[in-house]
Amino acid sequence: MFFATYLRRELRRRMRQAIFVALGLAVGIGLVVTVISASAGVKKAESSVLASLYGVGTDVTVSGPAPSFKAPPTTKGSTGGGTQIQITPSGAEVCVNGKCENAAGKTIQNLAPEYSPMKSADVADVARLHDVAAAAGGLLITDNTVTIPKDFGSSGGSAPPTPNSLSVDGVDTSHLTLGPLSSGTVTSGHSFTAADADSDVAVVDSGYATSNNLKVGSVITIDNAKFTVIGIVRQSQASSPNDIFIPLARAEALKAGGSTETGEVNMIYVTAASAADIATVQHEIAKLLPHATVTTAASLASEVTGSVANAAKLANDLGKWLAILVLIAAFAVASLLTMSAVARRGAEFGTLKAIGWRTRRIVTQVLGESVVMGVIGAAVGVGLGFAGAAIIAKIAPKLTATVPSSNGTGVNSFQSTSGGGAVRSIGPGGSSHVLAVPLHPSITGGVIALAVLLALAGGLLAGSFGSWRIARLRPVDALSQVA
Amino acid sequence: MYKLTGVTKLYQKGRRTVPAVRDLDLVIEDGEWLAVQGRTGHGKSTLLNLLGGLDRATQGTVELDGTDLGALRETQLTRVRAEKIGFIFQTFNLIPTLSAAENVEAALIPLRVGHADRQARVAAALDSVGLADRAAHLPSELSGGQQQRTAIARALVKEPKVLLADEPTGNLDEDTRDEIIGLLEQLWRERGLTLVLVTHDTSLARQAQRVGVMSKGRLTIKQDNRPGPQPETHPVTAGHDPVI
Repeated sequence: MFFATYLRRELRRRMRQAIFVALGLAVGIGLVVTVISASAGVKKAESSVLASLYGVGTDVTVSGPAPSFKAPPTTKGSTGGGTQIQITPSGAEVCVNGKCENAAGKTIQNLAPEYSPMKSADVADVARLHDVAAAAGGLLITDNTVTIPKDFGSSGGSAPPTPNSLSVDGVDTSHLTLGPLSSGTVTSGHSFTAADADSDVAVVDSGYATSNNLKVGSVITIDNAKFTVIGIVRQSQASSPNDIFIPLARAEALKAGGSTETGEVNMIYVTAASAADIATVQHEIAKLLPHATVTTAASLASEVTGSVANAAKLANDLGKWLAILVLIAAFAVASLLTMSAVARRGAEFGTLKAIGWRTRRIVTQVLGESVVMGVIGAAVGVGLGFAGAAIIAKIAPKLTATVPSSNGTGVNSFQSTSGGGAVRSIGPGGSSHVLAVPLHPSITGGVIALAVLLALAGGLLAGSFGSWRIARLRPVDALSQVA
Repeated sequence: MYKLTGVTKLYQKGRRTVPAVRDLDLVIEDGEWLAVQGRTGHGKSTLLNLLGGLDRATQGTVELDGTDLGALRETQLTRVRAEKIGFIFQTFNLIPTLSAAENVEAALIPLRVGHADRQARVAAALDSVGLADRAAHLPSELSGGQQQRTAIARALVKEPKVLLADEPTGNLDEDTRDEIIGLLEQLWRERGLTLVLVTHDTSLARQAQRVGVMSKGRLTIKQDNRPGPQPETHPVTAGHDPVI
């Protein structure tokens, strides 16, 4: 009772100083809370990008080497395998396996893998590794369709046509918890079952379904093969979702184009036995498949560039150090003011010692005052932290992310769009996506607890300096100073 | 009873060693009133600090009821101060944020007296110095005389054996000074306190049973009005018999 009365009166007497100290601590704490919440928001945005790329339960992603890119021939007489378009003095020609014909007005369809193939047996080999809990193959292919304008290639004719691309992901229907589809939410119909392995069924991205008026039961055509839509899946806003998911075996068959070259995948999604094993698994797979690119969420995150990465860097480096510096400054100011107050109260403490107060009792009194200032600082600081986080959420621009493709030769480039949607364009060695990554700073109970602890620590630190001074204070010296 | 034997207190001032008290032998009986006079800087306050256990002698012993204060640990010394010794200062030394009653109550905190008992004793102490109606006032709301009365109540509330007063009237006007002198004398008589009072004030010193003068660290008894045979005036330094 006496302790509380004395404490309250003393703080009231030094109200301006107490407010100054508490505010100093509050600013430091507020900054820490804001930086941590912003950092958590950035991490969340980053995680949502990574999760959408590789699925929620996927620890390691293995992709085949990039397909070799050959520059398209521009002169008549060039030869090469597959479908090629070449410009001749008489106009554009399309050449299939060396046999050329006029391309004017023709529609050309081409099914291209995003990565070079790996054998299905590689999936089994990876699954057998000691620290691997599960592995599933995937086949990412792009169905490109381009219609050649009639006057393309002639003098003063049309500009080069833009291909219409459709991203198709072959999904292992026996391992649906791995891979990009696992992070989506089925909004209509249902997802695959193991029984769908060889069926001509498809699950379609909700955005793609809306823009193409597709619903459950609709029929879509991929490279002349018809698939029935059995489900619509909503995928992360932060992702560049694949347009269509079909069973892996069907994707392999499409890619083989009727040849016997089936049993190929170009992605392997892996879950490690435990989080601690991820690095080991990455190492083991790299040893097993030396030509493949092995990526973990962590390593991918470290390669993320763009404003997501810049924001993360800003939060981690500048923000963290700024918060630490402000905290140190706040602690130092609190300590100096407390020591100064103790020095000014020398006569008071000397008198208390003279009338029989033990040093410990006086120290408790001073520490109590400092802790109360710390608690006030914590309360105000957490409030400032919430305000800071709200301001960031309000004014921060949507973040952009540039994620290197797994094969290392191209990039998936993410840029913000006003609607938060995503656009994918096909390019050599990889694809680029345009998307918005919203930043939502989040303040958890842990952050608040940390803030309170920091403020209390600041108060205690300041009080400790004062206490050290009190402990050294001889009553006779204090009283003689007064005299 | 205080018994000082061969007490010397030296201070270091830069490279110089300054003796504040030299070879002092002195006995102060229980219930005695000793006034110590002398010029500033001649060791009066140092003597009071040694008696109050606020400072330790460089040489010699200061015993209170047979206990050598210099041999006690700081916590034990604090305990002695809390239980047996009341202090009155020239500048009152009240805690500015606490009311008169709370200032008095502060002296009971180290004694772990229960709340109700504390309140009763505080009220009685303030009543005994005529400040019952000023209990809730802050020091800044009290006159100098009232502040010193509050300080006296704080010194007396724990019912000490010894009251040590350092220039208790030094900051007071003449009328207030007379009030405080009267109050101290009354309390000394009523409570049987051992009162050691350092003062420049000759009229106050004259009220005491014995008056000593400190000069260059040595104490000389100039007046002894104690009942019984009157000893001759003489210095009470080593080589002489202490005044008993």
